[in-house]
Amino acid sequence: MQSESGSEERVAPKQGWNARWFWYSMVCVLCWGGWALLSKIGSQEIPPDTMQFLFTVGTVPIGLALLAARRGELERSPRGITYGVLNGILSGIGGLTLFAAYHTNGNTAVITVATSLYPIVTVLLAVLILRERLGFRQVVGLLFAAVSIVIFSL
Amino acid sequence: MHFAPWFLYSVITVVAWGIVGLLQKLSTNHLSAESSLIWLVVGFVAMEPLFYPGKALFHYSTWSMAAALVSGVLNALGAWALFAALKNGGKASIVSPLTALYPLVVILLVPIVLHESITKVQLAGVSCALVAVVLLSA
Repeated sequence: MQSESGSEERVAPKQGWNARWFWYSMVCVLCWGGWALLSKIGSQEIPPDTMQFLFTVGTVPIGLALLAARRGELERSPRGITYGVLNGILSGIGGLTLFAAYHTNGNTAVITVATSLYPIVTVLLAVLILRERLGFRQVVGLLFAAVSIVIFSL
Repeated sequence: MHFAPWFLYSVITVVAWGIVGLLQKLSTNHLSAESSLIWLVVGFVAMEPLFYPGKALFHYSTWSMAAALVSGVLNALGAWALFAALKNGGKASIVSPLTALYPLVVILLVPIVLHESITKVQLAGVSCALVAVVLLSA
């Protein structure tokens, strides 16, 4: 993103608060925060499987809008499609148990934060399967995660 | 150690979504981020027959049903915004930890919306977990 041609004045507005990517990130944070909160509100009355059913109905318009924006053109990679569909199935299973956790009387903030710890598994699997190396930051992150899990189990 | 029911459910969520994180890395080697999201929705829809509640669907309050539906819309919109951030010059090493902070919205709104509070011990756990998520997402 940074140009090395010396046109720093032009590039500068793309950093920090003025950057478009920053605001998209904020939209993401607000949307996912809203998703978690509404998931809890719905789960107070609706059982997890029905929550997952309704949640999926909500995702369909966005999927269709993305498909329309691409004029129906999708890459024809069988492996990519398999990973994508598998992602949906696993995300659905994770969503189902999240709704189940919210359906109990557990603390909403704690459940939301605890379930956001999923990068632990991604990082460990990336080390085991993709042979990626753990950086110092990730090691410290895993330690903090371990401490939080112990605290949550108290 | 005693594990509350919410904790055990949360562990399954963490494992399932953790695998998704890995598959997401692999799928974007073959598909664009948008296509990946479209196929993810296809995966969601493929499981709908398992969760179809039948007539029981109409027994719930409009408010709860609306919350469930809108939660789906917001989840998919959030994923689209994440991809848009990455497409518009955001570095994954910054955007991923930044967007991983979405639980903060819940922490701030829960006392107002649901009148829930957390204990000091829970607050310590939440703080450690947020630091962990930011460090691990980068």
